[in-house]
Amino acid sequence: MASEKESRVGSVLSAESIKVIAESIGVSGLQDEAAAFLAEDISYRLKLIVQEAEKLRQHSKRTKLMCSDFDTALQMKNVEPIYGHTNRDGYIPFRHASGGGREIFFTEEKEVDLQAIVGEPLPKIPSDVTLKAHWLCIDGVQPALPENPPPATKDHQKQEILDTSLKTSINRPHKRPHPDSMKYKHHYKHKDTVKLKNLTTHELSVEQQYYYKEITESCVGPDEQKRSEALQSLQQDPGLHQMLPRFVAFAAEGVNINVVQNNLALLIYLMRMVKSLLDNPTLYLDKYLHNLLPAVMTCVVSKQLCLRPDMDNHWALRDFAARLVAQICRNYSNNTNNIQARVTKKFSKAIQSEKVSLATQYGALAGLGELGPEVIKSCLLPYICMLGERIKSVNEGSALNVDKIAAEHLKKQLLKYLPGVLKSFHNSTETVDEFNVAYGYLGPMMYSMFIQKEKNLAATTSAVHSLAAPRSSIQLTQRPAQIVIQQQPSTPVPPSSPFLTPTPTLASLTSRPLSSLPSTPTGIGQKFVIMSQARPATPIVPQSSINTVVKVVNPQQSAMAAANSGAAQKIVVIQGDPKSDDVSVSLRAAVLGGAQSAPLVQQPVTSSANSGITGKETL
Amino acid sequence: MASKYGYESTAVVKTEPDDMSLKSDKQTLLAVLQFLKKHNLKGTESLLKQEARISDDDLRTNEDKKTEVTQALAAVYKSDDDPSLYEDLYGDLKKFIDSCLDVHKVELSTILYPVFVHMYLELVYNGHEWNAAEFYSKFWQDQEEHHHDDLARLSSVRKKEHMPGNQLLENFKTSKFVLRMSRDSYTHLKRHLQEKRLSPLLTIIQDHLFIDVFDGVPRTQQQIQATSGGLLGEVDKDANKAKVFYGLLKEPDLNILLDEDDDAGEGDEKPKKKKSKKDPLLMKKSKNDPNAPPVNRIPLPELKDQDLRERAMAFREAKRRVKLDHNHLPSVCFYTFLNAYQGVTCVDISEDSSLLAAGFTDGNIRVWSLTPNKLKDMKDPDDLDLIDKEADDVMERIFDDKTACDNKLLVGHGGTVYATSISPDRAYLLSCSDDGTIRLWSLYIWTNLVCYKGHNFPVWDVDFSPHGYYFVSAGHDRTARVWATDHHQPVRIFAGHLADVDCCKFHPNSNYVATGSSDKSVRLWDMLNGSCVRIMTGHKNTIHCLEFSPDGRYLASGGADNLAVIWDLSSGAVVAQLKGHTNIVYSLCFSRDGTILATGGLDDSIRLWDVQKIMAEQDTEVDTTIPSNITVNDSPSLLLGTYYTKSTTVLGLHFTRCNLLIGCGPYLAPS
Repeated sequence: MASEKESRVGSVLSAESIKVIAESIGVSGLQDEAAAFLAEDISYRLKLIVQEAEKLRQHSKRTKLMCSDFDTALQMKNVEPIYGHTNRDGYIPFRHASGGGREIFFTEEKEVDLQAIVGEPLPKIPSDVTLKAHWLCIDGVQPALPENPPPATKDHQKQEILDTSLKTSINRPHKRPHPDSMKYKHHYKHKDTVKLKNLTTHELSVEQQYYYKEITESCVGPDEQKRSEALQSLQQDPGLHQMLPRFVAFAAEGVNINVVQNNLALLIYLMRMVKSLLDNPTLYLDKYLHNLLPAVMTCVVSKQLCLRPDMDNHWALRDFAARLVAQICRNYSNNTNNIQARVTKKFSKAIQSEKVSLATQYGALAGLGELGPEVIKSCLLPYICMLGERIKSVNEGSALNVDKIAAEHLKKQLLKYLPGVLKSFHNSTETVDEFNVAYGYLGPMMYSMFIQKEKNLAATTSAVHSLAAPRSSIQLTQRPAQIVIQQQPSTPVPPSSPFLTPTPTLASLTSRPLSSLPSTPTGIGQKFVIMSQARPATPIVPQSSINTVVKVVNPQQSAMAAANSGAAQKIVVIQGDPKSDDVSVSLRAAVLGGAQSAPLVQQPVTSSANSGITGKETL
Repeated sequence: MASKYGYESTAVVKTEPDDMSLKSDKQTLLAVLQFLKKHNLKGTESLLKQEARISDDDLRTNEDKKTEVTQALAAVYKSDDDPSLYEDLYGDLKKFIDSCLDVHKVELSTILYPVFVHMYLELVYNGHEWNAAEFYSKFWQDQEEHHHDDLARLSSVRKKEHMPGNQLLENFKTSKFVLRMSRDSYTHLKRHLQEKRLSPLLTIIQDHLFIDVFDGVPRTQQQIQATSGGLLGEVDKDANKAKVFYGLLKEPDLNILLDEDDDAGEGDEKPKKKKSKKDPLLMKKSKNDPNAPPVNRIPLPELKDQDLRERAMAFREAKRRVKLDHNHLPSVCFYTFLNAYQGVTCVDISEDSSLLAAGFTDGNIRVWSLTPNKLKDMKDPDDLDLIDKEADDVMERIFDDKTACDNKLLVGHGGTVYATSISPDRAYLLSCSDDGTIRLWSLYIWTNLVCYKGHNFPVWDVDFSPHGYYFVSAGHDRTARVWATDHHQPVRIFAGHLADVDCCKFHPNSNYVATGSSDKSVRLWDMLNGSCVRIMTGHKNTIHCLEFSPDGRYLASGGADNLAVIWDLSSGAVVAQLKGHTNIVYSLCFSRDGTILATGGLDDSIRLWDVQKIMAEQDTEVDTTIPSNITVNDSPSLLLGTYYTKSTTVLGLHFTRCNLLIGCGPYLAPS
């Protein structure tokens, strides 16, 4: 940090910048010495003005320095302000360009079509400032109102793991420790080096008990409408941390029982519940992973999850649970608990073993696949031959029908995960034989898959190239974002491939949905509906604040059956306004926080009432 | 008093009229001549010169004087020493201090920062740019954390050409850095310097440092920490010697009104009253406080019937006041501004908690009513004539019910509004802004009445006197000014702060004004003669808010160093440092009985502090002239509670007469 500060302290504009600026105002041939001198002097003056602007920021009680602050600072120095720079969105995106051996950063100035502006309907008048009163605290106790922040933040819950004394204050904010007892405790600590763990009682209020009952009943009950509401609540409501142990225990116990009874539907419901808990931004699950992870892993690799393995679609459950495992690894794996390593080990053991059932291997494969290309490379590729042999023996031998189906699914699963990884190993000049040598029985299949992908890649690069261009040159024309995505429905490629086009601009946009699309589309008759709001200003900026909600709307009522059945699916991509946060979150916030989020734009969200597993991904 | 403790920098607007007009005439003429010369209007110039009988010498001297002064100022740093010597010298000094006994080490190490600054400036001034940069990068990290902001500003000065006009440097050049140390430490240092004959070091210490020596044991790290941080170090011992009448003024006799109102509020004209039920509290209040200033020390506006009624009302409400202490914490009602985006900059709540005024970045001011009573316009003059002026409810009748609404918009400022203040009688509102003006608004007819121009730069803060009529403003021009509402010129100008004056506050007895500044000091000014009676250092960054305790003895301040500090006005010493906030403290308020201090700020929290405990633990017997005797309470147990808001900055805090805490601020959607 010190070095960072230091560089800030001593920084000076470069002489090249001065020359570029001089050129832009018509002074050419500025001498090096002059430029260097100017650079130093201008840096000094700039710093003075920024210091003044900083003062104005503090007095405006903001955390962000605005262009207007700088303008006012200039005015204070009796200098004409610079017109035309505004930061309505709170930041000015500097664009970078290089060319001719020079690199520059510039602010974008687009040509504005006045005709279009005149023709546009008038924008809505922003809502007026209003004053709203609420109780922040009553006699020293903060009531749990939607207007108040949730009683314990994620960081709090994190700290709580390390310090049990915190727990009392989090769970029971209603009683302030009496000053005398505090003193006593302090005294005690000094006297005795033995650290006593405070006894904490987990009491739930009547309302909380009622809530728990309602939620759990809805989650596993027959009413799909109620269930989605319950899941929504688990996913978004703050302040659930007190009930978290109970929910986790409910899920874990439920899995234990229903695995034995092969109750697929209930297992699915429970996994969806776990997913909601994982998605809740205010919950920190670290403490409960010892309960949670075994339950989820069971749903991935259990030998049997349903009564009729040949008929029921337990594959989808395995896929879904595998994604949950991956999500847990992503969020909670650290050097201490080493979750990812342990999980990977478990899965790869299953893959390597000859004795386990094919269903288990399928699960393990899904589990590894979800953990990302690195894991696939190191833990899966070496065993492809083995897997191939096994599939071969099942297909060619006189195995049970169940096993045959399993083998088929196993193959499909390989299709799903491998192509992206293969690219880094092979090039398009290789032949089938080489693949045969490397992967045995599965070689031909993998080869065709690989070749198709290469072709696909070639088809898309040309389109993408034109998009990628503006980022590296000074050329300023941009094309709206729809172009790339719209071409997808027309090309009859394997459905998963649109998300795998390894182009530089789309990389980050595509890689994530892969792991979190709730049901992997396998059927051909799919419809991609992409709605993009007219946003001429934004080219594809990966990792920008564009929010995309991907919803898989499944017309069929049954939860999982359709996921793999090849029935027509609709993928609806909604591109939200960058200013509003996750659309659904903001909607929810509008409900929870009263008028607090009133100004947020409400986006059309397709109803998720009749969807199967509904997942959301925010980019 | 002014002459006795007069500071050269303290200006009082009280010059002899003849002398002033003569002088200013000549100044104007000279300015005109210069203008003519500049625009090459020779004919007019010579004509004017003849008529005004101004010789060329006059002109020249005027210009020369200026340049001479600047030269003299800059020349302070002229030296012919070998630039590489400085590093060694500074290193030597550091080594010497490190080798001292621990008792002295802490005190002596305070000398390092000013020496570092002046050495750097000397290097820069003498054109050793490279050496200066080297010197800076080698030692800047040794300096205390709270100096880093100033150092960053210092480091931007890299050439001699940058030096003129830089405010910070001017401060370093023209004033001495004040240090306080015990005699033992001082002799230690002196011996070292004399033994080694470190001439450049000695010159720096002699020219730019003022070491205030006291008899007593050396101070501890914590004690030094509590008062360090000022732009120019600490305050010398003579600065805070003047007596401050911090007591409250004698309250006017309210018995008549009180008793009447108790009699079911019948008949205002009834002249007789029963002396029977006298409240003990009332008795105490009307007793004379030995620390109170004489009532007529500052001419205050006479109380009108309306004011007396108001006070009686306040007194009755005060009787229903909730007692607060560490076991009985207040309730907080929070007013959130919605849809304000980044717009709200300041909030003020009237003394009786009925009105709330907020200023916005776009220059607008909005006033809300916090009670069910709506805001109304006064009737037209014609309609006003029809009203029975003898009626009891004349104040109600003058308003037009048709205009009632929840909030009113006041438009007039040409830039961000930085502060608003509602007059005690709720008839007026003051606002100050970016555009350098202060405006007085009528809350009866909802329009601008007066525009006070005087500060040429942004005005950061404005505050009405608790007795009305006067108000104080503070601004970027490094002055605070006291105005009377019926004068367009300030009646006092308080100059002395070394940087922007960021906040100002009237003392409850209207005899003093406190100001807080970017030079990290809090000053208390006497209204009577304009002198500075207290300079208090200890904040480490800009001070953003000030508040007097209800009894007038203590002052609380909060600032960009995330600290709230409580000062004792009788001695000028720090009483307590309240550490807990994680961002700038923008608002402060004492509970009405002075037992609890509430602070709020940019970290979206309101914190409550146990003032009662601070007062109880304060040692009042100690001789405060010896700095090492002063103890500063910064125990974490003073924090009684922290209440977080939902991404809402706490811009305003206010205790109602019944001790309900009101907080307000804009909701900012997290991005």
